[in-house]
Order: sequence, then C-alpha cells, then structure tokens
Amino acid sequence: MDIEEKEIGFSTVPFGPQHPASGHFHALLKVEGEMVHELEPHPGYLHRGFEKLMEYRVHPQNCALVDRADVLDPFSCELGYTNAIEKIAGLEIPERGRYIRIIMAELGRILSHMTWIGVLSMVLGFDSANKIAWGDREKILRLNEIATGGRLYPCYLCVGGVRRDISQEFVDETSKALDYLEGQLSFYDYFVFKNETFVMRTEKVGRMSAKEAIDLGATGPNLRACGIDYDIRKDEPYEVYPKVSFNVITRDEGDAYARSLCRRYEIAESISIVRQLLNNLPDGAFRVELSPVWAAPEGESYFCLESARGEKCFHVVSDGSPCPYRVKIRAPSFLHTLSEFPYLAKGSTIADIPAIYWSLDSCPADMDR
Amino acid sequence: MINEITSLLKSKFPDSLLNVVSEDKRITLLVKKEELHQILSQLKDTGFNHLSDVTAVDYIDEQEFELIYHLWSHREKIRAIVKVRIPRESPTVKSVVDLWTGAQMHEREDHELFGINFEGNPNLSPLFLEDWEEIPPFRKDFDTRKYVKEKYYLEEEGYPVAKG
Repeated sequence: MDIEEKEIGFSTVPFGPQHPASGHFHALLKVEGEMVHELEPHPGYLHRGFEKLMEYRVHPQNCALVDRADVLDPFSCELGYTNAIEKIAGLEIPERGRYIRIIMAELGRILSHMTWIGVLSMVLGFDSANKIAWGDREKILRLNEIATGGRLYPCYLCVGGVRRDISQEFVDETSKALDYLEGQLSFYDYFVFKNETFVMRTEKVGRMSAKEAIDLGATGPNLRACGIDYDIRKDEPYEVYPKVSFNVITRDEGDAYARSLCRRYEIAESISIVRQLLNNLPDGAFRVELSPVWAAPEGESYFCLESARGEKCFHVVSDGSPCPYRVKIRAPSFLHTLSEFPYLAKGSTIADIPAIYWSLDSCPADMDR
Repeated sequence: MINEITSLLKSKFPDSLLNVVSEDKRITLLVKKEELHQILSQLKDTGFNHLSDVTAVDYIDEQEFELIYHLWSHREKIRAIVKVRIPRESPTVKSVVDLWTGAQMHEREDHELFGINFEGNPNLSPLFLEDWEEIPPFRKDFDTRKYVKEKYYLEEEGYPVAKG
C-alpha cells in the first residue's frame, strides 16, 4: 500500500516564561516534529531600566541598585560600577579594600557557578544534583551574610572601597567553606560531570566553532570552551589580579559539555585565588571615606571585568553632578541569550533546548537589566 | 601596535579622524559619520574581531547623540573605542550587522531605547517594552519619574496611591 507523503507544517511552541528551565525569558520555537527550525527570543520580562534609574540617583544608592542587574553574580556589578566611577575621579583605593573586593568577587563567581551546576542538572532531569549543588551554595551565601549582612544582594562595595571590614570569623569560615567545596568538587566530578546521562545530554549538543562564537559576540566560559583564552582578569588586569596566579581554563570542543567543564574547573581556580588573597591580606584602611553626595568630576570611563558569565563592561559618563549622566552595562547574558542561543537552537531537538539554554548560563535579569 | 593602527587609519581616512587618544592597551577614536562603516570595517580587518558593545549617550544640550562602538582584538589583546556624533533630529547610521552578527541585538536595543535608526539591520522590532507609545525612554527629555507618577499613581491629598 502506498502511503501518500503528506506535507507536515510547522507549529509554534513557546519556551518560557513559565517553563521551570527558562527563568523570566520567553522564546517561540518554530518546530517541525521534534526539530527546531527557528527560535525567536522575546526578552523583557525583567526589564527594569536600571541604566535610566541610575541617572536619578547618587553613587551610594546606585551601588545598591546595580546589584539587581545580575541577581546571580551581584558583586561583579558592584565591582564594575565602583571601578568605573573611581577611574573617572582617579581615586586610589586602600590595598586592603582591593583584596576584600576580589575575595568577594571570586566567591561570587563560585556562587554563580554552583547555582548553574544545580539548574543545568535540573533541566537534564537530574534533580538530586540540583538539591546538592544548591545546598552547597548556601555555604557561600552564609559567607556573604557574615561579611556584608546580606545573602543575595550584598550592597557591599562602595565608591572608595568596601562598606565594612571583614572579621576574623569571616576569614576562618571562608577557609572552612573552601576546604569543604574543594572536597565536593571531586564528588561533583563523579556525580555530575562523569555521569553517563549528563555526558550524553551535553556532549556534541549546542556546538559552535571559535569563529562563530566570536562573530556572535560570545564571551566568558562560552568563548573559552571554543578554545579562545579571553579572560579580562589576565588580558586587562584590574584590582589585585596581577598579584595572584591562576590558570585560564579553555577547552576546544565548543559544545555544552566543554562549557560545563570550563565552569567546573573555574570553581577550582577561584578557590585557589581566594586562598592566595586571604593568606596575603594586608592590614590598614579598607575604604576612603566620601560624602554620600560626593560628585565625580566631569568625564567618562569604560571599565571591563570578567564576571561569572563573561565580559561585563560599565560605560559611565559623569557631568560633575552627584548622579551619573549615563550608565551603560554591557551584560554578557544579553548576547548569550539573544545572539548565541537562537543560533545554536536552530537544527536541534526540542528536548535539547533547555540544555543548550542553561549550558550558556544566561541570567534573564542580567539580559534585560 | 596601537601606533601602527593609528598611522594606518590616518593614512587611509585623513578627513574622517577627528580625534585620536592612544593609551597603553586602548585606542579611542572620534570619527565622522560618513566614513564610520569603512573605518569599522578596516578595524575589523586589522584584528578587532569582537564587537563588545554598541551604545549611545544623549547629549541633549548639543542636540546630538554620541554612538560608541567598543571593539576588542583577540589577537593583539587591545581595545578600540570608536565614537561618532549624529544629529538628534535624524539619528541614522549604517548598520554593522554585515561585519559582526552580534551587532544585530545591540542595534536593536539602541533603536528601542534611543530611537536611533540603523540602515541595513533586518530586524529592529522592540526587545523590552510592550505597546510603548512615548518617546524612546532612555532619551534625556523623557522623565521616568513623571511618567510613572502620571501613569501608575493617583494624587490623593498629596500622597501617591497605586492605580487599580
């Protein structure tokens, strides 16, 4: 019997904003059966217009506001904003303040990567790893609380240094937490990264070449997984990074598994950086006291840093008033989700969409700002 | 390397380079709008293969937008910042989507938030805002506080109460 071939039409399937894997992000998938032909991103669910809101506020207010721009890695936002302002004013920060800043920024990177291990495992149907990773993440949140008083939104860095000094309790608790996390990493290797299902679901999924990644604007672990050793901590070193030794983790495969391994080994590097800084923590002042309505002089600056997700840059223009004239945050997730994700989704199956999305580690708050 | 790039650009575009500031690992150029695309294309050929950002500043007193392209060279590990001034009434420049695919989204964002037109960009539909009918919100003559007060609050005895 001849079966007449019927033309199968395209149908449209939404991904998010209610999907557990999508976060506050919505995309429309144009599919034919299981195959995704096109992905149309619809961001904006977390657009709060921070860059504009900051034009109405003085610098101490902005340091608290800018946290919210990247919920999972708030220290990188504070670090970028304060450094951009200090660059305009030519402010010299006490050495102890700089050390504390980078300790917190690296703990923030570990925090963000732990969150990511959890969510990626969850979207691959591996819920126990999610619970364990988020449980271990609590260790870092506890450190945040001891040092800053806040867990998720620390509001800790300020123009001129950090808001308060770190205590001996923090130093002791940090070394304990780092020892614990280092032990957990080998557990994660066995439990997650060498897990057959995890490897099967990520290997050769969402693959891009180095040339494509650069053209699409990829940065951070997503670019380093394609073999490009672009790390701003090494290439344009800021704060105390020239004083610490660490490796830039790269892989050559460019797929979701390579991106995962890049992040896993970055956690180990961050642990090593925090230890080096804690061992050499200098004494002395931790901030320069400035009035709340202190005004930066007229000028502009462009400051780039390596956040957990990639290149994060702050372009700040000051007109000499206590509020900035214009702030622009170059958010890494903006391109991860809106440029790389639609490209990688093309030609994949629906089941791989959450895996690709989370292997890029984008944060919708960071994307929409 | 910075000096080589500067002299190359100066010889190729003698009339379009208005200002050049060279730092240790960074070069900042102010260029004329007419040859912007050619200069960016030349920079890409020189090794600046990563377009980091395209952003704008609204200088309302001078009735101009400053459009800023941030480039990075993965080979030389240096940054280039290209600035161009465009009139506020007719803010139109040529798109650079043909040079960097990632430019698509940056230009879309600038179009939505500043109202700048990028000729040649295939899709400039809004990214963040739904049913927006006001002027582009990141322009300096748009007052966020006034808008929120009028749109979402009722003035009752001088005390704002949320509508609805």
